[in-house]
Amino acid sequence: MITRLGRSASFLGGEIRDLWMVYIGALAGLFRKSRRRGDLVRQMFQIGNRSVVFLVVTLGFIGMVMTYEACLQLSSVTGNDFSMIGPQFIRLAISDFGPTLTGMMLATRVGAGIAAEIGSMKVTEQIDALRMSGVLPIDYLITPRLVASIVMTLALAVVGTVVMYASGGLTAKYSFGVNPNIYFDISLVRLRHVALFVTKSVAYGAAIPVVAGFCGLRARGSSEGVGWATTAAVIGSSFAVIMLDFVISAAALFVTGGDL
Amino acid sequence: MTAPAVRLHDVHKRYGDRRVLDGVSLDVARGARVGLIGPAASGKSVLLKLACGLERADAGSVELLGEPLAGKAESELGALRKRVGMLFQNYALFDFLTVAGNVAFPLERRGGMAAADLAAQVAARLRAVGLAGSEDKQTSELSGGMKKRVGIARATVADAELVVYDEPTAGLDPVTTQKIYDLLAADQARTGATVLAVSSDVAALAQFVDDIAFLYRGRIIYRGPARTIADAPDPLVRQFVRGELAGPLEDKPAG
Amino acid sequence: MGFPRRVAEHVGGGALAVARETGGIVVLAGQVLRALVPPKIDRRELVKALYKMGNRSVAIVVLTAFFAGGLMTLQTGPFVKRLGATSIAGWGAGYAVLREIGPILIALMFSGRVGANNTAELATMTVTEQLDGLRALSIDPVRFLIVPRVIAMIVTLVALTAIGDLIALQGASVVGHAMLDIEWSTMFHSFADNLKPYDFLHGIYKSMAFGVAIAISSCYFGVTVRGGAVGVGRAVNNAVVASAVSIMLLDFFITYLTG
Repeated sequence: MITRLGRSASFLGGEIRDLWMVYIGALAGLFRKSRRRGDLVRQMFQIGNRSVVFLVVTLGFIGMVMTYEACLQLSSVTGNDFSMIGPQFIRLAISDFGPTLTGMMLATRVGAGIAAEIGSMKVTEQIDALRMSGVLPIDYLITPRLVASIVMTLALAVVGTVVMYASGGLTAKYSFGVNPNIYFDISLVRLRHVALFVTKSVAYGAAIPVVAGFCGLRARGSSEGVGWATTAAVIGSSFAVIMLDFVISAAALFVTGGDL
Repeated sequence: MTAPAVRLHDVHKRYGDRRVLDGVSLDVARGARVGLIGPAASGKSVLLKLACGLERADAGSVELLGEPLAGKAESELGALRKRVGMLFQNYALFDFLTVAGNVAFPLERRGGMAAADLAAQVAARLRAVGLAGSEDKQTSELSGGMKKRVGIARATVADAELVVYDEPTAGLDPVTTQKIYDLLAADQARTGATVLAVSSDVAALAQFVDDIAFLYRGRIIYRGPARTIADAPDPLVRQFVRGELAGPLEDKPAG
Repeated sequence: MGFPRRVAEHVGGGALAVARETGGIVVLAGQVLRALVPPKIDRRELVKALYKMGNRSVAIVVLTAFFAGGLMTLQTGPFVKRLGATSIAGWGAGYAVLREIGPILIALMFSGRVGANNTAELATMTVTEQLDGLRALSIDPVRFLIVPRVIAMIVTLVALTAIGDLIALQGASVVGHAMLDIEWSTMFHSFADNLKPYDFLHGIYKSMAFGVAIAISSCYFGVTVRGGAVGVGRAVNNAVVASAVSIMLLDFFITYLTG
């Protein structure tokens, strides 16, 4: 039993090390002379365009639910004083839920997409064909997606957070009669919340294509292999988002001495 | 004496418990045309990949165009591989590029060509494989035979020193098979490149290559002139080439 | 003149696709329901599915739940501590966990692990014509393959949500103790005092609905796959996205309708 645990631990360690190598490789690709701006734009378009509607819908609904639940809780504590709902919600949305929920949704959509694309290239030997022309697959395939994902995740997180806040405002007004002027109050937002927003969005944006690309490049077999790669990518990137959220939030807590 | 184009010496490769290559030694001299045959799943494609450094051997040495591959990083291998053209068994065409994009790819990677010259060379290649005018087609619009020919065009467009063909005529009708081999022969006569070809169609292959190696249960058990392969001294080889049911060939794979 | 038209085509095409898929999913749901009456299910497939799905997802759900619970404490804890109301720290985190975060996150992870896998398997079987093979042997794929998986997925998700909720509360306590110096007993008491059984059940009802959504959509996209290896990847992609949207939508409706 101990040996099995040990073996799984060393296997996991090996996997994480390989994943890290992919990340470094992708970053290194940034500094190599590559005149492939067209591909970068195409990747950004793919990530951004295809995900906007999805994101707006999911975050819109989640915003409504969260506000609803919060108002419900608050009414049992403070009677009908909902003045804190708007300001507190936007504070939490910026520093956590906005980027994280955007990240989770993108991990699903974008992560699966990238793994499916790269995975099917792997099983049809296109990756080997690239290598035969002297191309480094990580450079060529993952680096543009890395850059595109960081930029688009940041942009989409903004969209998602705004949508969440707005839909929450709608719920607060129509279900609990909260005055929009009181709700839409950003006075509690501080620089550190925005810093958390940017840090998390960038972190998630970087993690998703690296994990998904890693899974795609590992695909073996044929259609089965692509299925496995896509599944692993969704799980891996979603989990990465949660882990990063936890680590960044905990680190922020330490740095600011417990004052979020 | 220049170094052989490909030299494998006592190469071993296993996948999990399966010993796919069990001490393979093979030399392909410069300018020679060598064929590789063997039962299904005997490791022929693996051998080709090892020769190009796409996979690493577990033991033994591999030299490509005179350079040892051991210990070379992926980026160093890239420079070597640009001098090699490869046709993959399942074509491995880039589905995110058009036909022209696919054929132009090796040239673009090499760099140093003006756009007009590049386009002209691509067009010439496509004409040579009988696909003139297909530049803008998507790979999904092509039939199997057409994909094979695009693959051949891509493998030969950069006038490589070594061309590797993995099953150039599998799944094609006899007439197309003949056309493909005529095309490969014409190319090789023009460039003097070294050729290493894997095929299950021994008869057609034998007309194209000079000698044939037989890979069986992880080893090269025979190497001899193509013309007389059907009368080889080894009964295993004879049975395989003639397609006879009775004989020493076993059903189960090696390892 | 070109741009507005292209936008309209894009939106219209997208809307049609969504409608077609929703329709297809409803049709499949109907087929599954019909196959349940009378309940003649292949028991071996059911047990096999239950085992496989539970086994595969336990680890990821436990980990996710733990960290999710911890996250909630990280978010609400400092606020609560500043107010000095540590006794309701558990309530702040726990309420959100049981009713929302727990079911949603666990369902999302489940959809990614088991749902995507299910789609991949069914898609591969479709692409390799195994489903046609079953039909040729006059075995109804819906009854034989899909119904056991649907049932297994719903049962497994509900069980996982129940377990996950508890693990999340644990995670919340651990983080509360380690990072905010809130005593175990304080957390435990605030859970016990403030969280009602109904809060727990609310989350469970949701997980049932999520289970149905994930199961049906993952099966649907699996069997309607087209193309080879590329199609399989696309099917998994679509399934996971559809599941995520359904989860959010269902969460909204259930929260509103049951309060």
